[in-house]
Amino acid sequence: MFLATKLIEQNARNFAPRLASCHCRKLSTDPHASPEIDNDEEFRVLNLRQVQAQARPKRVIKKDVAAPPRANKMPVDQDWGAVWPGPKTFHPASVPLPLRQGYTEKAAAPPSKYGNAELMKIPNFLHLTPPVIKKQCEALKQFCTPWPKEIPSEEQWNKHFPMEVITTDYCHGLPTIRNPLSRIVTIKFKLSTLKLDKHAHDKFLRLVGERYDPETDVLTIVTDRCPLRKQNYEYAQYLLTALYHESWVTEPWESLKSEADMETYHFIRNKSKVSAEEILNWGKTEGGKKLVAHEAFGKSVENLMNEGENEYNIQAYKTEALKLLGLPSLKSTSP
Amino acid sequence: MITFIHSYLLLILFLWFQKVSTKIWAHILKFHNFVRSQIWCFGFKSYRKEPITMLVRCLRGVSRRACAQYSTVAEPIQKLDDFRTNEATVANHGLQHLGKYYRIEPEVKKQLFTYGGLPKSFEKQIKTFGETCLMVREPAVEVMHYIKSTDLSRPTVRYVLYGVDGAGKSLTMAHLLHFGLEQGFVLVHVPWVANWFKRPKETASSGSKEGFTDLPFDAASWLVHFKNQNASILPKLDLKVSKDYVWSIRETTPAGSTLLELIEHGIARVKFASDTVEALLHELKQHSTAGRCKTMVAIDGYNALFYPQTRILAENKVVVTPDKITLTKPFLDITKYDWTNGVCILSVDRIALNEERWESELPQYQLGKEGFEHVDPFVPIKVDNYNNKEFHSCINYYLNRRWIQNSAPGFDDELKYLSASNPFKLMNICAPL
Repeated sequence: MFLATKLIEQNARNFAPRLASCHCRKLSTDPHASPEIDNDEEFRVLNLRQVQAQARPKRVIKKDVAAPPRANKMPVDQDWGAVWPGPKTFHPASVPLPLRQGYTEKAAAPPSKYGNAELMKIPNFLHLTPPVIKKQCEALKQFCTPWPKEIPSEEQWNKHFPMEVITTDYCHGLPTIRNPLSRIVTIKFKLSTLKLDKHAHDKFLRLVGERYDPETDVLTIVTDRCPLRKQNYEYAQYLLTALYHESWVTEPWESLKSEADMETYHFIRNKSKVSAEEILNWGKTEGGKKLVAHEAFGKSVENLMNEGENEYNIQAYKTEALKLLGLPSLKSTSP
Repeated sequence: MITFIHSYLLLILFLWFQKVSTKIWAHILKFHNFVRSQIWCFGFKSYRKEPITMLVRCLRGVSRRACAQYSTVAEPIQKLDDFRTNEATVANHGLQHLGKYYRIEPEVKKQLFTYGGLPKSFEKQIKTFGETCLMVREPAVEVMHYIKSTDLSRPTVRYVLYGVDGAGKSLTMAHLLHFGLEQGFVLVHVPWVANWFKRPKETASSGSKEGFTDLPFDAASWLVHFKNQNASILPKLDLKVSKDYVWSIRETTPAGSTLLELIEHGIARVKFASDTVEALLHELKQHSTAGRCKTMVAIDGYNALFYPQTRILAENKVVVTPDKITLTKPFLDITKYDWTNGVCILSVDRIALNEERWESELPQYQLGKEGFEHVDPFVPIKVDNYNNKEFHSCINYYLNRRWIQNSAPGFDDELKYLSASNPFKLMNICAPL
């Protein structure tokens, strides 16, 4: 409502002078006054054509003259660490190297470093040149303590400190110095350093699953579920303790492990032994002393099954089978 | 293909009218043999009638004298070549005969291999050479040595032949069959087990066993094969059936009738052939254990019995596994160790199975765990490619048979590299030479 009255007021103000001038014109139409008025006033000419305007001077666009690449001016013995102090995207003018990178259609040289996106995309290590690293190490040395003399070799060191604890500290320019990733704790150790019997070893491996690397015998436990590093470290210790003691427990249902659950082939548990002994004891009466299959035969069958089949294992099996069946080999009897 | 055959025929006729020289004729015949082998290789079944062969035979009949000089047909041997041995008794073959060829008499071949037992390509070669010659090779000599030194009153020993494709497992088995025939074994020979499971003649659900599948025609043809192989020995042994076999209300084989009668019945009544095979093998096992006969079991492609697939569909369109086929059980039973006076020669061959099991030719892989346990403890016998001596003996034999006619210097080394000393490959490579 208020807006509407405002608009009306404004219109009234605009129209007032116009109305006034109209009124004047009407007044001046009497015959006495009209010639003077005609001489005084010139008719404005309506010029529909474009009047040739005076040519305005063109604005000169000042271009900044690109400075020549500063790489050209670099002295040979400069301190490179000062030129390229930290990790940075590649810049052609700062790197005094004739680098080329990229693909061209014909067998021409790869594009040069100027305006080369290929060089900018890839990460570079220009801030980590050997002299710079050396310098940084020198600077860090003041914070280091000497290596203990008691554990000179790696064996000693592995023996006294079998467990490796890996954590990461992050350093960056932010208002906060906390980084959530620094809570993660990894512990690593060789399984052979734990005292486990055959059953416990088997159970331990089943419990840890893929955390164990059979090639290097290293077990890796990573904990990251707690908010603090200390909590995670303690949790890892707890896990290790629990695993160790749990693997020593034999549950009543473990005796139900059948042949199909076996990891390796055992001669004494299999039909192979039964067949071999039945053949050996063929025709023997019940009371007679039973023969047991040769240990070497059992070994050869186990090798064949566990190590996989190859010509060597088959020949070993053949030799043992011939002995078991009481057959003379061809070569030994031939002249 | 048809245009090719026509033009080929025209070419032969044209050459005939041109009266080309005999030497060229020999080459043409050889080329024709090669073409024929290629046609057979690629399985053009429609050309089995072989009109070309008929024509060429007519022509050859006219020009026999002209061709005689270049023909591959055997001639009477004047003097013994160094790649042959005169030792006709297989039992005498020993290490001194290794790499030499011995000749199998046509009657023996007819008795042993009429219904299978020799590979097809080898059969064709026999036909071309006009004689059946086998090379005495180490695996066969080795097995014969073992058999000769076996105490037959002990449980049956199982020998498993294995080796790469085309190394000669089947021919080693053929050699051993000849040995068995000579030594008076009853032969239980299956030429190729996979034939039953891959291309059976007919399938029917079993009348005697619930849920099993019969292969009536295959069983009957196996009975024919068995009867043929043991035609000479069965009447002599005069083995009797131990119990009544009731086939139907009207048909029985009473206890006391001969095994031959049992077999005859199985052949005549194809419906009961599968059960007859089972009865026959059961009886043979009993007789052998009792010492009334000795039995040689030879099964080629034995690993097919343990492969969990066949190409047979049951009535409900489900793939039948080998253990649900009536023929499987008797042959598994007879390869157990629970009987005496017997010998089992089994060959494992990767071709008997599907391609997924072609990675290795070694016996345990081919048999699988179940099969391995079934035959364990067995004697693995490796049939290898030719060694140097055998290779040169084979080349000399092919030269002698004019199977190789172009012998440029160094050709044998080239052949050796090309074939990698594999007997089957060598035979194929030499075909167009």
